[in-house]
Amino acid sequence: MSASSAFSDEKGGSSSVGEPEYGHDPASGGIFSSDYKRHDDLKEMLDSNKDSLKLEAMKRIVAMIARGKNTSDLFPAVVKNVACKNIEVKKLVYVYLVRYAEEQQDLALLSISTFQRGLKDPNQLIRASALRVLSSIRVTIIVPIMMLAIKEAASDMSPYVRKTAAHAIPKLYSLDPEQKDQLIEVIEKLLADKTTLVAGSVVMAFEEVCPERIDLIHKNYRKLCNLLVDVEEWGQVVIINMLTRYARTQFLNPNLNECLLEEGGESTFYGSDADQDEDEDEDKKDEALSKRKPYVMDPDHRLLLRNTKPLLQSRNAAVVMAVAQLYFHLAPKAEVGVIAKALVRLLRSHSEVQYVVLQNVATMTIKRRGMFEPYLKSFYIRSTDPTQIKVLKLEVLTNLASETNISTILREFQTYIKSMDKDFVAATIQAIGRCATHIGEVRDTCLNGLVQLLSNRDELVVAESVVVIKKLLQMQPEKHSDIIKHMAKLTDNIQVPMARASILWLIGEYCEHVPKIAPDVLRKMAKTFTNEEDIVKLQIINLAAKLYLTNSKQTKLLTQYVLNLAKYDQNYDIRDRARFIRQLIVPTDKCGALSKYAKKLILALKPAPILESPFKDRDHFQLGSLSHLLNTKAGGYQELPDWPQDAPDPSVRNVEVPEWTKCSSREKRKEKKVEKPFYSDSEGESGPTESADSESDSASSSASGSEQSGSGSEESEESEERSDSDEEEEEEAKKRKTQKKEPIEALANLRRGTCPSRSLTTTRTARQTAANQSLRILSPRQR
Amino acid sequence: MISQIFILSSKGDHLIYKDFRGEAGKDAVTAFYEKVTALTGDQPPVVMSHKELHFVHIRQGGLYWVVTTTADSSPFTLVEFLNRLTTLIKDYCGSLSEKSVRMNFALIYELLDEVVDNGYIQTTSTDILKNFIQTEAVTSKPFSLFDLSNVGLFGAETQQSKVAPSAAATRPIMSSRGDQGGKSEIFVDVVERMSVVIGSNGVLMKVDVEGEIRVKCYMPSCLEMRIGLNEEFSIGKSQLRGYGAAVRVDECSFHQAVKLDEFDQHRILKVCPSQGEHVVMQYLLSDELPSAPPFRLFPTIERDNGGRLLMYLKLRCDLPPKSSAINVSVTVPVPKGSLSLSQELSSPDQKAELRPETRAVHWDIPRFPGGAQLSALFKLEVPGLSSASMMEVGPVGLSFELPKYTCTGLQIRFLRLTPVQPGSSQRWVRYVTHSDSYTIRI
Repeated sequence: MSASSAFSDEKGGSSSVGEPEYGHDPASGGIFSSDYKRHDDLKEMLDSNKDSLKLEAMKRIVAMIARGKNTSDLFPAVVKNVACKNIEVKKLVYVYLVRYAEEQQDLALLSISTFQRGLKDPNQLIRASALRVLSSIRVTIIVPIMMLAIKEAASDMSPYVRKTAAHAIPKLYSLDPEQKDQLIEVIEKLLADKTTLVAGSVVMAFEEVCPERIDLIHKNYRKLCNLLVDVEEWGQVVIINMLTRYARTQFLNPNLNECLLEEGGESTFYGSDADQDEDEDEDKKDEALSKRKPYVMDPDHRLLLRNTKPLLQSRNAAVVMAVAQLYFHLAPKAEVGVIAKALVRLLRSHSEVQYVVLQNVATMTIKRRGMFEPYLKSFYIRSTDPTQIKVLKLEVLTNLASETNISTILREFQTYIKSMDKDFVAATIQAIGRCATHIGEVRDTCLNGLVQLLSNRDELVVAESVVVIKKLLQMQPEKHSDIIKHMAKLTDNIQVPMARASILWLIGEYCEHVPKIAPDVLRKMAKTFTNEEDIVKLQIINLAAKLYLTNSKQTKLLTQYVLNLAKYDQNYDIRDRARFIRQLIVPTDKCGALSKYAKKLILALKPAPILESPFKDRDHFQLGSLSHLLNTKAGGYQELPDWPQDAPDPSVRNVEVPEWTKCSSREKRKEKKVEKPFYSDSEGESGPTESADSESDSASSSASGSEQSGSGSEESEESEERSDSDEEEEEEAKKRKTQKKEPIEALANLRRGTCPSRSLTTTRTARQTAANQSLRILSPRQR
Repeated sequence: MISQIFILSSKGDHLIYKDFRGEAGKDAVTAFYEKVTALTGDQPPVVMSHKELHFVHIRQGGLYWVVTTTADSSPFTLVEFLNRLTTLIKDYCGSLSEKSVRMNFALIYELLDEVVDNGYIQTTSTDILKNFIQTEAVTSKPFSLFDLSNVGLFGAETQQSKVAPSAAATRPIMSSRGDQGGKSEIFVDVVERMSVVIGSNGVLMKVDVEGEIRVKCYMPSCLEMRIGLNEEFSIGKSQLRGYGAAVRVDECSFHQAVKLDEFDQHRILKVCPSQGEHVVMQYLLSDELPSAPPFRLFPTIERDNGGRLLMYLKLRCDLPPKSSAINVSVTVPVPKGSLSLSQELSSPDQKAELRPETRAVHWDIPRFPGGAQLSALFKLEVPGLSSASMMEVGPVGLSFELPKYTCTGLQIRFLRLTPVQPGSSQRWVRYVTHSDSYTIRI
């Protein structure tokens, strides 16, 4: 206590010394002398036997490191204090040591023996921190020592030390990759660890050292799924990402058959003109289904989906997103919807989080629009949003637009145009253009709206809308000659060069649709040619050339006049263009080979620009990854593997006696009772034949007992409800767990382990019967 | 995986720099600052790349908080981690500012050491970390007379002590060993943010109220706290309780440490508050409000004979008479090229000005009592005013603060601590509603 009070006296002094030091200008005095001197007194303080002085010195040194000053000459003086009894000093020495050990390898070795002693300390915190610092010292000579320390710590009593060992593995690996085989052994051992504390850290190590050794996961898969809820949140993220990859290699695509069903459903829809056909159609569908092996979700696949679902409620955005991408990549289509709500909830977070969420939502909306449609309003733009978020929200709104909601969306867009944020207004106008191209019914409305915008006083609005109108008209010019006429009239008023140029281009391109007006526009333009901006002049020349080729009787003289004006223009681009055009279109005696093709060259049919989302092809990156955000491959990005054609053997995940159920015999019995059909199921599945499946069905239905009767759809609903209440129970279990009661944890795990498999068998039965016998149950459910 | 973490002041000074994996050079800091300052616009992108290095940053407390990474790690993890780091440092240093970071170099390094190991995040829980952290926070307390006024004659409790000094809630959690320890206090804040869009016809088009109950605890030994909410509090549309006056929210989520066994029956949250700041409960109400929206606007916009734009704005505050709004600021976008503004306001403490750079008239009202109605007349000189440019007026944005008021009507009935704290424990409950985005279309 006396030391701490002495320290608090010092505190006042430290800030008063620290402040001027910071403002110290090296140029004003002799750098060497002052530096030398200051370090000298630090050394003196470090050598003293008062802890408070040492602490003060260390604090000042750390502050110097923070400012980026070199304090490596203090290394010998500091390293001596590594054995200091005061834990506060000790920790600061560690900070210093990790920073400079690489530069001063020989001196760093002096401290090793202290750490080795620390590894044997009875206090787990000291053991852990000794291991952590030891493994952070990047000196190759100590690799064997580190290896030994990690191996020992991996079988330590304390889970905290084992966790630290897991963290040390990638450090050693990066220092010396040749240790890989030995390290994998340690990882394998730690993967089998039963505590939640270790699980996250060891998976991190696994991902860095040997992500390709997916076989190490098999035996631990179910355990990881069951532990997941209780793992520390940052560990959850890593585990979920790893399990996503695992599931992609081990399970079948749940949406394969659904694609087939959808096709089948459509064919009945069109074929149902005559009622008597229906039965035949059903037969056909049945055939198609039976040709394809009926899809049955692997119980382990279901286990993963079920156990990650409650994590959508997590307070950590990273966890929510990890689960969301897991569902997006792994879940059957019908179940993906649950993530929408959670993602929308993230939109209320910091703007940085919003930005990342919206990027991912934008990608998802392209593939699965229906998922976010109910939350349309959540993507409305707020006046306080920063521009980049506004633009992303616009993107999402545009992707969500459909025949039913387009009128609301357009009304919303209308108010956005009044915004003061120019980039945003421009993006809105482009968004309107995209809506118009995708939804034919509103194209005219949009066009009219955009034409009205042409009279806006804001240059940017006008220019942007002219450009968008131009694109829209290019798609079907024949219908809209009146708009082209309207725009021709606008040339008198619009002053924005870009917009004028666009209009002229449009008139030139479609001069056949406005044969009377086009020459007149050219006449007016020829009058004002000298006062126009350069881009407008170029377009006037283009217009003249096009008209000359199509309507030379009326415009010959005008074209000549314009070309003459251009010939003496100040801008060489314009002079060049005029010369080129003249050679190309005006027939002379020594005309080149090209002029024959003048019409083809200038009046070629230009393809209409395609307005599509910039997020269109982003989905080949795994959602939630950095690569997805950047839209380029970031270093170390692992592609999500494709679903396998045939399911790999599911029995590799079987564990003889799940160790975490060893708490009481009664519970064990309960567990076994359910586990039995569970396993026979999965074995039966490895053979694709129908008979094996139906056999396992009867086995599972006998296990699930009374639930087997009744219609399938009802039961699946029931099991849904149960899973909800399960979630609550899990929450409770989690809280109880924080009080460190082992048996309760095991019980909660058990409960979690049993319930999913039970309800699973029921849904499976329902599916089987539906697929095989009566399509009448199946078809309403599937639609 | 995190390669480096650094904290920069807004001027680009290096405050904290820590390299975890030795993958990237130190020039990354300068590279980052150059990138950030080179960009114009209101917010630089969250993720930026420089050669092989990716920067993820957030801005809080006027500082840049940056992590760099070379590998493909989830950007969510990094952003979320930075946010957690700021709350951690706020918990440990008391407040988040350049000064507090500068004064606590050693503490922050120690924290970083425990939080991140070799670029992997270990834990960000204030509670767990408390076991490991040894360094004490250094705080700066400006001397103020206000503190003295709390002490009554002969040290007796006076009336004033019913109001906590404003700095009381910004201090580090680890003060138990320091001299200012002793005081065990608990702050419970109910903070609501509303975003509203009102159509030109006065109809509510969209309402969202996001609320949270925040607990900031400085109690070293508190086993359990019970927070009682309104009894008629209901979640979702289906379970309305009693008649009419229910306090309803659509969604509700709780901190994982909250025990809800009494919530269904009595609407009591049981928490074991650990030291530091926590959001105990978050809730959302969308699409309808229990009472009228706090502000209504009745605008009249026309062109007078002299070619000027006349805006007559009547603003009514529909709060109950006892409450009032403060720091109300009304922003009216005006046509481009508006030159000058002449104004008639109803009282001298209000202010209005035309800001050409944002193309808007800003009307500031420092205090606006409930039930009152204020009006303002603005005359704008706009050269070449046409009917089309009249369309450029609006939508009007409002920002305000409603102290001691919640729009959902959520109240805290009681706050009980067990075991009963000896002597000097103090409990504070505060309510406030902020405008997130309050837009009235014209």
